[in-house]
Amino acid sequence: MKILLVEDEAKTVAYLQRGLSEQGYSVEVATNGIDGQHLAITGDYDVIVLDIMLPGRDGLSVLQALRREKDTPVIILTARGEVEDRILGLRSGADDYLVKPFSFLELLARLQALSRRGRPQDNSQLRIADLHIDLLGRRAARGLRRLDLTAKEFSLLVALARHSGQVLSKTVIVEMVWDVNFDSNTNVVEVAIKRLRAKLDEPGESKLLHTIRGMGYVLEVRDGELA
Amino acid sequence: MNTSTGNSIARRLAWMFALAAALVFMVIGSALYTVQRMELRRHQFEEVRIRFEYMQQLISRRIFNQTKWQILEDKLNELSPPDRSVLYLIQSDDPLYRYGTPFEASAKVSREADGIDRVDLSHDRTYLALSAEIPALGERPAVRLTVAADPHSFDTTKRILRISLVGFSLLGVAAIAGLGWWIARRSLAAVDDLSRHAAELSPQNLAERLPANNLPSELNGLVLSFNGALERVEQAYLQLSTFNADVAHELRTPLGNLIGQTQVILSRERSGEELKEVLESNLEELERLRSIINDMLFLARADRGLRVETLSLASIAGEVAATAEYLDILIEEAGVSLQIEGDAEAPIERSLFRRAITNLLYNAIQHGARNSEINIRIEDMDNGVSIQVSNHGEPIEPHHLERLFDRFYRVDASRTDSENSHGLGLAIVKAVAVMHGGTVFARSEADLTTIGLTVAHAKPPGATFV
Repeated sequence: MKILLVEDEAKTVAYLQRGLSEQGYSVEVATNGIDGQHLAITGDYDVIVLDIMLPGRDGLSVLQALRREKDTPVIILTARGEVEDRILGLRSGADDYLVKPFSFLELLARLQALSRRGRPQDNSQLRIADLHIDLLGRRAARGLRRLDLTAKEFSLLVALARHSGQVLSKTVIVEMVWDVNFDSNTNVVEVAIKRLRAKLDEPGESKLLHTIRGMGYVLEVRDGELA
Repeated sequence: MNTSTGNSIARRLAWMFALAAALVFMVIGSALYTVQRMELRRHQFEEVRIRFEYMQQLISRRIFNQTKWQILEDKLNELSPPDRSVLYLIQSDDPLYRYGTPFEASAKVSREADGIDRVDLSHDRTYLALSAEIPALGERPAVRLTVAADPHSFDTTKRILRISLVGFSLLGVAAIAGLGWWIARRSLAAVDDLSRHAAELSPQNLAERLPANNLPSELNGLVLSFNGALERVEQAYLQLSTFNADVAHELRTPLGNLIGQTQVILSRERSGEELKEVLESNLEELERLRSIINDMLFLARADRGLRVETLSLASIAGEVAATAEYLDILIEEAGVSLQIEGDAEAPIERSLFRRAITNLLYNAIQHGARNSEINIRIEDMDNGVSIQVSNHGEPIEPHHLERLFDRFYRVDASRTDSENSHGLGLAIVKAVAVMHGGTVFARSEADLTTIGLTVAHAKPPGATFV
């Protein structure tokens, strides 16, 4: 996956480039609006991450110029966070936006959502180690042990399983499972994870659901880790 | 101070004084002029009449023969000035008893008053004339005596009077305008004084007020209301700076932790595991900071009076139920039950409204006693739809109640570092209510605490439905 990052803040560029590269993306960088617009139009990218406040040319006009040429998916980064900005951004052809300060995990989730867009979710079955999820029958089992999950717990498990190996932040989880798109400052996710974990990882079984402190949660197999 | 601009009060007053003076002078001047003119006319007539009567007496009593006539002629010659400003004219059938040249035939004669005629001669000369028949005496036949005087010198007097009246009036107008300006400037010195004081007002001396003593009564009201405005600004300013201090304080603790623990861990060689642990802890603090900042930005937008622009009509009970579903797990964990009563429709922005309801419910769940019921009552009222969330639990004291919606205000000060609470939850509820043209309320009776908000029925002006 090829990403164009148009951003002028050096530290932001440094960590995004490193983080995205480690996630397997190939990242090209432009540090001003003019270069950004040139690369965006001439290059061939899967997604463009575009800052609004840029030297040379501001992000929105870069976006408008790009949209006259091609429809590469664009994620807007904005520091203002004004409602008007959001509407302006989406109307001028952005596919998504993130308000600074944003979390890296959220950016990852958005990137994946954009690059998956258009590709049908083909799997009706998910499998991670001995965890088996039947999406059509809405059933899950570990080995032969059937998991007795509530509807929300099942959705949570599916969300984690679909992104197996990838850390999902609380914000991302809340949005995927509860369709809540505002900062709620509640501990719903913690409690839900605690309950899911109790059912998913029984003592003696290999631990699948891991907490990454300060980041979120990940569903993956780790060698030798037992619940 | 500002006299150079066209809008100066002193200048305007001076102009108005001048205008008033001009009007008064005009009226008095024309009255004086009219009276004087009438007096002059009377004097003119009088002069003609006196000369005439003298001559009439003389002729009718003393002139009875040619010898006497000769004496009369000498006297008349003597009395007639060479500039012909006074004319004596005697006509009779006998050529021996004639004197002077009669008025030319083309002369225009008009009756002026009291037997006095006005005679306009062709060569631009005018006379006032009085004439009468004098009966015969001795040898002398009846004669007709005419005495005429040129009113020219009176006309000159009239002209001089006119010119001086106008001239002095103009001088008077100018003097009054000047004096008026000076008086106005003096009276307005108090205003200059005030504006000097006002110029010195600044955030550094917020308690400063304009001096209200020794002021003319006209300015007193203005100064009092201005000082009232200053009072309100000071309040708002203090509130804002307290708020800024609060924000700084809220951010200081996590920042201090971040700096401190990073310094501690970097001051020795550490294992990867130890470094990882600090980074994780830092991340937690940073997420907390991010969350506070985002909420602050949200509140700042609400403070600026930003009203919701895209509203949709929704069932409030439906929205509350959907929000309750999100908090389902927490409701279960807390061992409380939820009861929704009533319903109404109102124009709302869904995600904002759900955010407010989330905060209200979350608050009730956290403070509700175990196994108690949380009651949500939706009522259609005159001024909007009210949503009241009641929970059983520790009562809240009145002095806490009124500050409940303040930012960073916590009833229980020891709960400050609870992971999910920044003390902004209810402030956000208030902001959302205000953005929907509503308000918030809180009361606590016995063990029942009720906190809620209202949203307006009508969409705010400028908002659109989607």
